[in-house]
Amino acid sequence: MEKSTFQDVNAQVVQRCREGDNRAQYELYKLYSKAMFNVSMRITNDYAESEDVLQEAFISAFKNLHSYKAEASFGSWLKRIVINASVNAVRKRRSELVPLEDRIAGDIADEDYDDDTEWQVEQVRRAIQRLPDGYRVVLSLYLLEGLDHAEIGEVLGISESTSKSQYSRARKKLLEIMKDTHSMA
Amino acid sequence: MIKKRKMKDRLKDFVNENREDFDVFEPRPELWQEICSELKVQKAQQEKPRKEAKVISINFGERLNFTADFMFMRVAATIVLLLACGITLWTVKQNNPAATNTLAATTEMGEPATVYQVAPELAEVEVYYTSQINSKREELSEYDLKVLGLDETREIDSELARLDSSYTRLKNQLQTTPNTDQVMAAMIRNLQIRIDVLNRQLEVLKKIEAIKEQDTTEPQNNETTTI
Repeated sequence: MEKSTFQDVNAQVVQRCREGDNRAQYELYKLYSKAMFNVSMRITNDYAESEDVLQEAFISAFKNLHSYKAEASFGSWLKRIVINASVNAVRKRRSELVPLEDRIAGDIADEDYDDDTEWQVEQVRRAIQRLPDGYRVVLSLYLLEGLDHAEIGEVLGISESTSKSQYSRARKKLLEIMKDTHSMA
Repeated sequence: MIKKRKMKDRLKDFVNENREDFDVFEPRPELWQEICSELKVQKAQQEKPRKEAKVISINFGERLNFTADFMFMRVAATIVLLLACGITLWTVKQNNPAATNTLAATTEMGEPATVYQVAPELAEVEVYYTSQINSKREELSEYDLKVLGLDETREIDSELARLDSSYTRLKNQLQTTPNTDQVMAAMIRNLQIRIDVLNRQLEVLKKIEAIKEQDTTEPQNNETTTI
């Protein structure tokens, strides 16, 4: 019930966009540009590249609005476009996002980290930025964009179990980075 | 196993609880204009074929006179257009020497004047700092970063981008807040931090360059010191 009312809010604007209404397009841009820009920043880790992605994504979204069926919210439809465009941008500068040696799925033993350390958003955010491309992408998609491992596998062209093991490697590395920066400070 | 689950959930929970705060970046305000003009170009391209057909039909007009006139008009129109473009570009460059940089701090044409009505001194401040920032950036760009083996520039770029994003946010706040002084102070601090960041990077580069120079002048010494 809640879902359908939410869709209706955007449905009118989306319909006006289909008719080529520039103000309706701006309304959607204003609503989603910041969130989408940050999605792309987390994947590409590059300001100029993220702007290119955002521009490309909005243009292709407005152009292909006819293929958007109101099954999902407009936001999540747009987010998919942004994620795919961002992943492609990273692929362009690096052939393999998930290195072959990391594709062997396996359980990663977790070391003990003292569980009571307080985290700061800024500290976690910066640590994510320092992760290598492959780790950062999987971890961001899972933690921040809310994709499950099957969806991540689909986006990156890897298996679900690879996505899982890649995520636990990434998380381990992330906690290490945070520990290092913590002890340095 | 229990431990693992607990830890996994803890990181995910932390992120979920603070989800909004992770979005710290903002695209340049000009980006919407760029998207708009790109949309217009695409629209025009869709309508183009019809127009071209029209031109061809005129070209095949029987009277030579007319086609010659038509050609002449086309050439004349092109020259006028080029001249107009040239003059506009020239005057813009003259009036606004910093027009090429991408800082949000740059005073832009067409930007609502209200910010500068609220804080008239802002324009002066921005000109002062952006010129400093630009000259530092120019200085930095003279170094060949790859040769010096530095790959951290990406981090610095993203730091500067983050600062630029928060500057944009502050500038928007300026129009609505009664606390103009506080926001202004934060904006100036933002600009100063950028200069600090660039200065620090310049220092590092200078040091590395000095070391490299020593290495090349004393190659034998180098061999013993390399590990």
